[in-house]
Amino acid sequence: MLLRMEGITKVYGGVTANAGVDFTLREGEVHALVGENGAGKTTLMRILYGEEQPTSGTIRLRGREVSFRSPDDAIRAGIGMVHQHFMLFPSFTVAENIVIGREPASGVVFDRRKAAEEVRRLSAEYGMPVDPWRRVADCPVGVQQRVEILKVLYRGADIIILDEPSAVLTPLEVRELLGVIRGLADRGKSVILITHKLQEVMDAADRITVLRDGKVTGTFAAADTNAEELSRLMVGRDLVPLDKRPASPGEAVLEVRDLTIRGGRGKARPVLDRVSFIVRAGEIVGVAGVSGNGQTELVQAIAGLRTVDEGAILLAGHDITGETARRIRERGLAHIPEDRYAWGAAAGESVADNAAMGHTARFGRGGVLLRGRIRRAVEGWVAAYGIRAGSLEAKAGHLSGGNLQKLIVARELAHGTPLVIAAEPTRGVDVGAMETIHRELVRRRDEGGAVLLVSSELTEILKLSDRILVMYEGRIVGELAAEEATEESISLLMTGGTRHAAGGV
Amino acid sequence: MRPAGSDPRGWRKRFLPEALRKRFRLKTSRPERLRLAGTLRGLLHPLAAVLLGLIAGAIAILAVGGSVVETYVEMWKGAFGSFYYVTTTLARATPIMLVGLGVALAFRAGFFNLGAEGQMLLGALCAAIAGLYLPGPPEWRTIAALVAGVAAGAAWSLLAGWLDLKFRLNLLITTLLLNYIAGLFCSYVVAFPLKDTSGSSGMAQTEMLEKAVWLPKLFPGMILHAGFVFAVVLTLLLFLFLRHTVKGYELRMLGSNPLFAVYGGVRRGALLAIAMLASGGFAGLAGAAEVLGTQYRYIDNALTSPGYAWSGIMAALLAGSHPLGTAAAAILLAALQTGGLGVERNTDVPLEIASVIQATLILFVSARFTLALIRRRKARAADGPVV
Amino acid sequence: MDQLFDVSLFNSTLRMVAPILLAALGGAICARAGVFNVALEGWMLTAAFAAIVGNHFFHNVWLAVLFAVACVTVLALMFAVLTVHLNANVIVVGLAFNFLATGLTAYGLFAVFGVKGSFYDRNMVGLPRWNIPLLKDIPFVGDVLSGHSPLVYLAFGLAFALQFYLFRTVWGFRLLAAGEHPAAAASVGLRVNRIRIGAILLSGMLCGLAGAQLSLGQVTLFTENMTAGRGFIALVASMLGQNNPLGVMLASLLFGLTDAFGIRLQGFSLPAQFTMMVPYVMTLAAMFFFKDRAYLRQSGRIGDR
Repeated sequence: MLLRMEGITKVYGGVTANAGVDFTLREGEVHALVGENGAGKTTLMRILYGEEQPTSGTIRLRGREVSFRSPDDAIRAGIGMVHQHFMLFPSFTVAENIVIGREPASGVVFDRRKAAEEVRRLSAEYGMPVDPWRRVADCPVGVQQRVEILKVLYRGADIIILDEPSAVLTPLEVRELLGVIRGLADRGKSVILITHKLQEVMDAADRITVLRDGKVTGTFAAADTNAEELSRLMVGRDLVPLDKRPASPGEAVLEVRDLTIRGGRGKARPVLDRVSFIVRAGEIVGVAGVSGNGQTELVQAIAGLRTVDEGAILLAGHDITGETARRIRERGLAHIPEDRYAWGAAAGESVADNAAMGHTARFGRGGVLLRGRIRRAVEGWVAAYGIRAGSLEAKAGHLSGGNLQKLIVARELAHGTPLVIAAEPTRGVDVGAMETIHRELVRRRDEGGAVLLVSSELTEILKLSDRILVMYEGRIVGELAAEEATEESISLLMTGGTRHAAGGV
Repeated sequence: MRPAGSDPRGWRKRFLPEALRKRFRLKTSRPERLRLAGTLRGLLHPLAAVLLGLIAGAIAILAVGGSVVETYVEMWKGAFGSFYYVTTTLARATPIMLVGLGVALAFRAGFFNLGAEGQMLLGALCAAIAGLYLPGPPEWRTIAALVAGVAAGAAWSLLAGWLDLKFRLNLLITTLLLNYIAGLFCSYVVAFPLKDTSGSSGMAQTEMLEKAVWLPKLFPGMILHAGFVFAVVLTLLLFLFLRHTVKGYELRMLGSNPLFAVYGGVRRGALLAIAMLASGGFAGLAGAAEVLGTQYRYIDNALTSPGYAWSGIMAALLAGSHPLGTAAAAILLAALQTGGLGVERNTDVPLEIASVIQATLILFVSARFTLALIRRRKARAADGPVV
Repeated sequence: MDQLFDVSLFNSTLRMVAPILLAALGGAICARAGVFNVALEGWMLTAAFAAIVGNHFFHNVWLAVLFAVACVTVLALMFAVLTVHLNANVIVVGLAFNFLATGLTAYGLFAVFGVKGSFYDRNMVGLPRWNIPLLKDIPFVGDVLSGHSPLVYLAFGLAFALQFYLFRTVWGFRLLAAGEHPAAAASVGLRVNRIRIGAILLSGMLCGLAGAQLSLGQVTLFTENMTAGRGFIALVASMLGQNNPLGVMLASLLFGLTDAFGIRLQGFSLPAQFTMMVPYVMTLAAMFFFKDRAYLRQSGRIGDR
């Protein structure tokens, strides 16, 4: 056994990211690590790569116990990591990107010719053709990924960690990648593949470990399992059913037609690919999916924070495609953003100031800001949502994550707009706040509002949604009514399978 | 942020006997007390800055062989020693306050408008021209001159804003370059076409404005003029604007978190225009008020060598772009400068001692921003990364 | 017309370009490392003063230059600690150093020399003029290129040296990496903070040379605020030159030429003020022609052009 991680536990403040995780790796093996967002896969690999220290547990490499204080230590021990978001220099050439940090030199001069030769040799050896002199920015994403892998190999890695490698690839490029991975294993390298795409896992992996809520729920040889079993192990948990009246949806409030955002230069796959759906008044539509499949961009496009290339968005009958955020809000949109600190609040400003954003029509008269009105409104929100904020003048950045989120939800729902977009509304939020926010979203729906819920938390989707859409690689790959949805079927769609291939479910 | 469970009133229990505690129990509500504590904490940094500045000044005084105590006494006397000196200090503070307020507005919105000097000079020149050559009764002409000054400064500032909006040219650099262009232009105008050839001095300046057009003095025999009243009124108005109007709110949010502002529907372009017009207008008014109230003509270099505009920018930076703080900082800087003149008159220490203290102040303030950032970084590091 | 463009015009251009070029090279290196350094103006001014002070006390022009470089390097170190280590706003700190420079030099003028406004010592020896042996005999070219202070030659030499450094050596390559994508650079083990501090110190030294050339290069003179915005022109020159040392050299030459041209026009009884405006107007015009990638836009929508 090349690598043994035993009893790895990592605790941050009150959160346990990994709890007694055991993970092993053999030479020449492809071992897949699967799980939902927040299951602990990334944390485990960050520990292996020296970016984090475990709270407890040991790592044994070739029988000897090791401890990595930084990525440098891990690299020296022969471990290389290819991150999900590439760490490449766009204006540099392929060869420059690969050799950086260990540049071949004659004296002080960077011998670029020698670097190109070495890159050519390496790429021939591992069957990953690249042009050493081409600028990385001009290379397609699949080639960029090869550059990242070659970078790791150049540093002498025997263990290669790939974090969600196929997230940005076209299907053809994915096939090539899986071939490369097999090739690496055949040449004696060991590959740890972090992914949520179970089909690829079944095609490429020798062994599979499933993580859920920081614990290992199973380790199998690939031959001994299938996608359904894996996805069940990924998500199975007790649902707390919410007392919810059945929905009675009315008119269509939001219509999205063939919405398309093309990929950047070098990416052949579009970020959003002809996305179409409808949200009616009085219903909650949940968009499920692992983050990074286009949900962020979809929400930004509807809210007017990102331009679209093709397609149309209609809100309450008005065409809002390409409109400014201000106009769209006026047309009837409220938006609970995915990243509360980046978009949803100004951390250095007071609670009162944060509460007024978007409401200046209501809180202002004749251009004057009516602080009394703001105060009364916020006091109402504090009472209804149980927000603990000290005083109106306290800085928003001092509020706990849950309290700030409650404030933002209260603020947005207080508009009483026809449409509310709730993007990851309970991310990083304590259980109490989560319950409150869920309750209020359902109440808005009961009052006749249309709610578009975008969440990578499957329980949340299942608990709240009347209808469920699943996004995968920028497309809607499935639409189910709440009654007929099961964890397995959604999880399968989220990870690239199809309902029909589920067979027997 | 205190750890949970600590007793905020514990220090009082320990240090004040029971009877006294009953006497001094604060009859204010908790939110009011929080605000008070916040304000006191907010004053701590500026006071520490001033202290450090005085220490640096002390070192500089010793370096030229002066007596620290004597120098600072003369400095105080030069700034506030008599009614005459107080009014002189306030008169000097007037243009600094006006420029500082405008700059504070722009900085608050996140726009680095460093063109105050050029805007001030153009404002001063246009006010002088209006005052000299417009027809009509004198009161009219005074008002017209003030308006002309405001308009000139505002337009010059808006030019840089337009270049940013339309062509994405770096505002900081364009405003700086426009400073030099405006300054040279005004210099030219007053050295050639509009030069006052009547007097014997041969200085580059316009003719003198007639007495009826001058801004009235606030006290007989003192140089403090109505411009100071404008400055005080505008300080309060700016404070109310930022705190109590919708536009002021949008401006503050834009400066605090631009993404949050966009998300909430705030329009950057409109606010850029408002901020540049206003800050330029304030600077123009500063120049106009000096011309109409103190100098009665446009004199080449008379506004640049005292460094009014840069002092105004310094005042805004020292006060973190808060209107009331900026006004206070402006008076502080003016006091340092008039105090410096007093020091020059009565000791062997040069007036430039004021610059040393000012420079230390600003350096400390830029470090102050960092301490707050360090605290915030440490707080964030206590939570883990997103899993 | 040939009276306008004669040998002495080009000769004085080279002399006047040197301070701008040196400071601009410093600005370019900082920009390449990811630091927007607006303190060039203040550093140049401090160096100009320090050079005069050094010359006065050491009676040796070379020690004076070294002293100027040393003083500014100390300031640069403070700047580096504040902005890189403690993460202060780089623009506020830069402005602070500019204010500091004007204050300290004005005070220093009195404290050291007992004068106000400016200091001129007829007996002070400035930088020597080097008459390059073979070069000076070439007609026209020789008169333009020969007879300058060593710092002028050093400035142009450094432009070539820094070009080589950035694009041919390993360390230059790593500096480019740190500025282009700091996170990626850190992920391959580069010490981004150290690289930034190094860049800032280098720009400090270059500004030290720039200031020394300014006050000792022609007439040994220090006047309050004698940099007159050259530090900001240098910043623009580095932007115009795309932060590429040779490009920066060409941009600086352009600005120096217009500056010298402006002064020449004065001889034709054109008002001095308009001729002095020429470099600034040119700089504004130049800004239309380059893409300032460093000027972040957090205003509009994602995807907006």
